[in-house]
Amino acid sequence: MLIKVPSVANLGLESIKVDVEVNLANRGLPGFEIVGLPDKAVDESKERVRAAISSSGIDFPAKKITVNLAPADIPKEGSLYDLPIAIGILSSILQFTVPDKSLFFGELSLDGSLRHTKGALLMALFAREAGFQDLYVPKDSANEAGAIKGVKVFPVENLFQLASHFLKRKNIEPAVYQENSDNLPAPAEFDMKEILGQEQAKRAMEIAAAGGHNIIMVGSPGSGKTMLARALPGILPPLNEKESLEVTKIYSAAGSIPPGGSLITYRQFRAPHHTASPVGLIGGGTRPHPGEVSLAHRGVLFLDEFNEFPRQVMEAMRQPLEDGYLTISRSKEIVRYPADFMLVASANPCPCGYLNHPKKNCVCTPRQVRKYQKRISGPILDRIDLHITVQPVDATEFSDNQKNSELLESSETIRQRVILARKRQEERFEGESIQSNAQMKNSHIKKYCKLAKEVEQLLRQASMKFQLSARSYMKMIKVARTIADLEGAPEITVSHMAEVLQYRPKIYESI
Amino acid sequence: MNQSNLETGKVGEEIAKDYLKRKGYKIIEQNYKTKYAEIDLIVRKGNELVFVEVRTKKGEDFGTPEETIDKRKLRKLWGNARAYTAWKKWQRPYRVDAVCVVLRYDNTIERLNHYENIGLA
Repeated sequence: MLIKVPSVANLGLESIKVDVEVNLANRGLPGFEIVGLPDKAVDESKERVRAAISSSGIDFPAKKITVNLAPADIPKEGSLYDLPIAIGILSSILQFTVPDKSLFFGELSLDGSLRHTKGALLMALFAREAGFQDLYVPKDSANEAGAIKGVKVFPVENLFQLASHFLKRKNIEPAVYQENSDNLPAPAEFDMKEILGQEQAKRAMEIAAAGGHNIIMVGSPGSGKTMLARALPGILPPLNEKESLEVTKIYSAAGSIPPGGSLITYRQFRAPHHTASPVGLIGGGTRPHPGEVSLAHRGVLFLDEFNEFPRQVMEAMRQPLEDGYLTISRSKEIVRYPADFMLVASANPCPCGYLNHPKKNCVCTPRQVRKYQKRISGPILDRIDLHITVQPVDATEFSDNQKNSELLESSETIRQRVILARKRQEERFEGESIQSNAQMKNSHIKKYCKLAKEVEQLLRQASMKFQLSARSYMKMIKVARTIADLEGAPEITVSHMAEVLQYRPKIYESI
Repeated sequence: MNQSNLETGKVGEEIAKDYLKRKGYKIIEQNYKTKYAEIDLIVRKGNELVFVEVRTKKGEDFGTPEETIDKRKLRKLWGNARAYTAWKKWQRPYRVDAVCVVLRYDNTIERLNHYENIGLA
């Protein structure tokens, strides 16, 4: 008897339908065979299914069982086929029909219960597109799948329960989607008001957050670069509906959504260490997996000690920085992961860290400094919109200021301004494919950022004087637009542009 | 190997032989030995030669006899069959069967299954 149970295979962020064909033959030596390019995890599902069925109080059939995962030429990975295989076997021995227009998905535990399985959201999206109405998923993954409207999600606790459902003994109620507590704004480690001094750096952070601009901070050790970056999540605007879905898709594919999790609604802050492997950062592997740059999609990628990152990693970041996505090509498949992130980098000015320090002396030779600074490639620096120098805060000033901490602006106040500026951008770009100023291409700049004569003149003079590249020229206009948006100004004025010029690329000027 | 396991195997083979005889098979060889392997039973019915692998277990608490025939064993069985047919210049059909015997502790039969033509798949 041949039974077909529909399921899916997730390739990157795309899904395709996989028919799990289960055949129980009376002839032949009893055995259990899975064909259709299963990987180790799929092949091991034999043992899980066998134990799960026995634990559910059902005798495992002594028949020749052959499972085919069709189409047979696409490699299948992961543990999600446990449930469809088990349902195929059960439907044969318990004589129930597998409903049409349903998808099955989930990993089995040896005791017959279902475990949270990655990719539920992707499957739900596929189900809606391909016209499947019912989804049978592990209870812990049901909320994630339920975020997609238009499909019925059945939360399955264990195999026995699902068999009872199909035998019409006891029905499973469809899940009701619930947003849960991790939708609150990401808790930042620091509040902006805890950071004393550094007004210019805070202002730059606000601009970066408002327009989604990349930013690099250069400063001596202990000047507060890391603290500033760690306070950034507190001033980021929430994700809009479209962005939220994009981000959740990536996390679902990476298996990073906790059991019972719902849509991610806040911007992610990723801070990989510089010893992380290139594949871990960029994504890849034989079955391409999203890397840190994709996990930071629509959020922040914070690279502390930027010079310490391997050159290879930095250069690989060029494509996502420019295009907002990353294409990973492998001989068997090509996967495209979105990677539209805001890069926040921090670096020391020289090996000892005290170059240009107001009090301390730098002990590095010019050659050492040059070598150190050259580790950050020019093309990458050119793609960073805001360059700021973080000056150390005087310890005496520090204690004076400590009393004034309460007078400083809190993250929440700044965040409200940022949200407002984002809203203005979204309104402006309605109907366009972009959402923030940082994403503007040259055509958008021409359309939305008409410069008054005196503003253009100022920018032209500056670019001559500071030898700015054409890309930097355009970036300056984008940042000026964000500053204008923060103010609510309809046009970019000379004062906006003058402020932008402070944030021009200047790391090499310090030598 | 444990002496009693060897005995169990012997008992199982005798049971299988009787069973096949009753089913109308003619016993050609028992425990046919080559340099490389041993074939438990070679029987014949009509113009078909059947190579039989007998698996015996005492009780199923530690696994079924069926489980003990894996892909490798199957390949071996077919290899032996091919070698035998080539040696004897057998030009007509042949197949490989398995007889699985489960015994109770007093050596009476709990169950016996005969699987015909077990393929390599």
